[in-house]
Amino acid sequence: MLAIYRKLLRLYPSEHRELFGEEMLSVLIEERSEIRDITRISEGRLFVRETAGLLMGALRAHFRAFTEIHEELSFVTGRFAMHNGFRFPKSTILFMALILGCVLTAIKKGQDIASSVPNVNPPLPVHIQPVHSILLGGMPLFFAFFYAAGLIGWAILYALRRSGAHRLSDVSTAPK
Amino acid sequence: MESLPLTEPVLLILLSLAGQPQHGYAILKDVERMSSGRVVLSTGTLYGALRRLLDDEWIERYEEEETPRGRQAYRLTPHGRRNLQMEIDRIKHITRLATLRVATKER
Repeated sequence: MLAIYRKLLRLYPSEHRELFGEEMLSVLIEERSEIRDITRISEGRLFVRETAGLLMGALRAHFRAFTEIHEELSFVTGRFAMHNGFRFPKSTILFMALILGCVLTAIKKGQDIASSVPNVNPPLPVHIQPVHSILLGGMPLFFAFFYAAGLIGWAILYALRRSGAHRLSDVSTAPK
Repeated sequence: MESLPLTEPVLLILLSLAGQPQHGYAILKDVERMSSGRVVLSTGTLYGALRRLLDDEWIERYEEEETPRGRQAYRLTPHGRRNLQMEIDRIKHITRLATLRVATKER
């Protein structure tokens, strides 16, 4: 049983294992030594509870580690993460517009280059539009769609922030 | 980040540490005893909660003399004690309100 617990502890992020691995194992050993003298049923119950707890704990620890990385990144890049102290920087609109502008310019340049090169391919018997030109035509629409979706998302988040909905969890019902 | 109101397991863990520093296994047993066997924490759940409470500085590691290997005691920080007191006040208020409302309804 302890071998299984050890294996399950390996599922935790290394940082969590270093901090708590030995302690957790020692608690599991103490629990088991207490229960072993009672019945097989209580031992089985303990095993199921601990296995489920370790699996869920490992999952939560990984999720926590993942969100911490994002919080650290947001600190570097300027608070893009969705946590309690969330603030979406206004400069996002500017950056989004800049990116869209760059993409559209690149597409236009590509089309100019394509039209400046003489067409060496033999003419097609029927008028079929090449696939890449269809894609190029659809590209601005594609980016415009995502740009609009991003803007709507930003507007919703900004409205939520202005409404103070994120602070509801801090509201206390206790008398002052 | 732990925020008020606290979940029952977290509240019981904090209450367990309110009296004196305790190590993991003692907390597990204390929580079980305080809840009359209703709340039985697994090791994974306990250490997940301890991790969050440590990160938020509600509790801290407490160095004991001659601690056996693999045993680490924890205790409440002043910040944790303050938050626990706030939670107790909140529960008291709700209990008072509930008693009053239920008594009014019964009349």
